[in-house]
Amino acid sequence: MSQAMIRVRNLTKRYQRGGETLTVLDNLNLEMEEGRFYALMGPSGSGKTTLLNLIGGLDSPDSGELLVAGEDLAQLEGSDLAAWRGANVGFVFQGFNLIPVLTARENVELPLKLTPLSRSQRRAQAETALKLVGLGDRMDHRPRQLSGGQEQRVAIARAIATDPKVILADEPTGDLDRKSAEQVLDLLGRLNREFKKTILMVTHDPHAAERAQSIVHLDKGQLGRIEHNQPAGAH
Amino acid sequence: MFKLVLRNLSSHPIRSGITAVSVGVALFLVCVLTSIVTTLQSGLAAASSTRLVVMSSISLFVDIPLSYQEKIARVDGIANVVKWQWFGGYYKSQDNFFGQFAVDPERMFEVYPEVKVDEETKRKFLTQRNACIVGWQLAAEFPEWQQTGKIPITGALFPHPSGQAWDFELAGVYRSEAANFDNRTMFFRWDLFEETLKGAGQDPGVGVYVMSVEPGADIESMRAQIEGMFENGPATVRCDTESEFTRQFVSMLGDIPMFLGWIGAGVLVAILLGAINAMLMAGREQTHDIGILKALGFDDTTAFGVLITQSLVLCLTGGALGIALAMSLEQPIALAIGSAFPGFFIQSSTYIGAGVASLVVGLAAGAIPAWNALRANCVEALRAKGA
Ligand SMILES: Nc1ncnc2c1ncn2[C@@H]1O[C@H](COP(=O)(O)OP(=O)(O)OP(=O)(O)O)[C@@H](O)[C@H]1O
Ligand SMILES: [Mg+2]
Repeated sequence: MSQAMIRVRNLTKRYQRGGETLTVLDNLNLEMEEGRFYALMGPSGSGKTTLLNLIGGLDSPDSGELLVAGEDLAQLEGSDLAAWRGANVGFVFQGFNLIPVLTARENVELPLKLTPLSRSQRRAQAETALKLVGLGDRMDHRPRQLSGGQEQRVAIARAIATDPKVILADEPTGDLDRKSAEQVLDLLGRLNREFKKTILMVTHDPHAAERAQSIVHLDKGQLGRIEHNQPAGAH
Repeated sequence: MFKLVLRNLSSHPIRSGITAVSVGVALFLVCVLTSIVTTLQSGLAAASSTRLVVMSSISLFVDIPLSYQEKIARVDGIANVVKWQWFGGYYKSQDNFFGQFAVDPERMFEVYPEVKVDEETKRKFLTQRNACIVGWQLAAEFPEWQQTGKIPITGALFPHPSGQAWDFELAGVYRSEAANFDNRTMFFRWDLFEETLKGAGQDPGVGVYVMSVEPGADIESMRAQIEGMFENGPATVRCDTESEFTRQFVSMLGDIPMFLGWIGAGVLVAILLGAINAMLMAGREQTHDIGILKALGFDDTTAFGVLITQSLVLCLTGGALGIALAMSLEQPIALAIGSAFPGFFIQSSTYIGAGVASLVVGLAAGAIPAWNALRANCVEALRAKGA
């Protein structure tokens, strides 16, 4: 029996807009097992990105508990939270979010600067990650010199460079054509199967969601049904 | 991280270049303006308070009698007396402005030990009646003098009886090591001056007497004694220490030092605003990058550092540029403005000040964007449009 990698308890998140209070996540409860690949689906505005950002420690909830990779996020603040993020979570965004003035290799090396690795070790690890995503021959290209699919694969390499337990992907294929999207989904699947990463991927695409082992539905801040495609570790 | 800083700067080469160069030019200007003021002040500071100057109590432009020299020399405590007369001539054209003075040659060197000449120059100046010495800066402006050895000066106040220019022979170049004595003046011999004019029936007076005093002499009582000696004429005099005498000239400049200070401050403020503008633009463009850094686990201080370092690199580069420019142009500037501000030089404290100013501009210009980066909420920063 796998233990919970992500545990969400009574999670509430509100935004103030004008004079109104918008409850984006309303008393949410959710558990995700270590080593599973989850897809998070739901209509636009249902709070998917908000939930992902909370789990990744980019944002803080109004109330509720968040246990991620064995850490109670409420106990972490400021630079401690940042350091935890650097060590435990890899992000993949819809818009890739690479730093334009740095090369692919330098982008992947960036999070490794927060580790005690030496310069040459960082370099070697960044190269390994880039080779893993099939970009061994594009290491010195700037993001602008890469296709969208390649950019997203660099972002995935960056997300796994520090070997985090959890990968959070917010519509990683949203800006990609069919073929690039397939490559990215293949990659995420491999990371889950071969490297036992726990993956939570937001997507609007049912076809993409098929790749996950479980599909979590979110609607108006409430959790809907959870579908289980396959048991953990199966194809 | 420093790589990121440099890449961000070099990704906008024109903006970075313009900012750095404008900081550089501004600091160069400030160095020059400051140095004009410090040059004036150092002349004042270096002026001796143990040398005395006697001039007419009416005005510096009124002569005093020749006969006073011996009487002054007899006052207790006076070591030596040299007389000066402003010749007011010109070389070739009135535009070639520099001072010429008739002086007592031996006493000149005794009263002004800071004025150095080599042995050969001294020997010529002391023996040849029409010999003269000139400051090294002046000699550099008129290289033909050293080639021909002749300096014809037209006497505007004291025309030569022949109707021609006065013909001087260049004995050599002097070099003053003190800020109160400039290197852009010409000195010739009193005896030539007096005898030439007397031959034509004129009777020249003396502009000022400058006296060195013996160690431990009571300056105040000597001043009172000298002024008292000539109280009943034929010409009343004023006796000041050299530093008081020099201060009169500087105070004649009035508010110029303060005015220059305001210009310098204005230039700095303008450049600060330019640098702030450039850094605000950079900060806005990099908001998205800052969001990425924070998402990857970098803390707020790193975000702050990325922007403040950019500003510092930019402004310190500019500062270095300005200082280098000032260092390499110091001599040409000294020559160009030598007639108005003799002895122009840039003090090392001015360079240090310029370095500090560029540091302060860098910190001030980077402060707002760096602070914004520090405070930026990661999620919102990520939503910002990337560059
Ligand atoms: N910073 C904010 N301030 C105010 N309201 C916000 C903020 N961020 C998100 N919201 C609101 O919260 C709700 C949920 O946003 P969220 O981005 O989580 O939705 P989403 O499910 O990711 O949608 P999409 O599929 O379009 O990406 C939306 O109504 C949004 O307008
Ligand atoms: Mg979203």
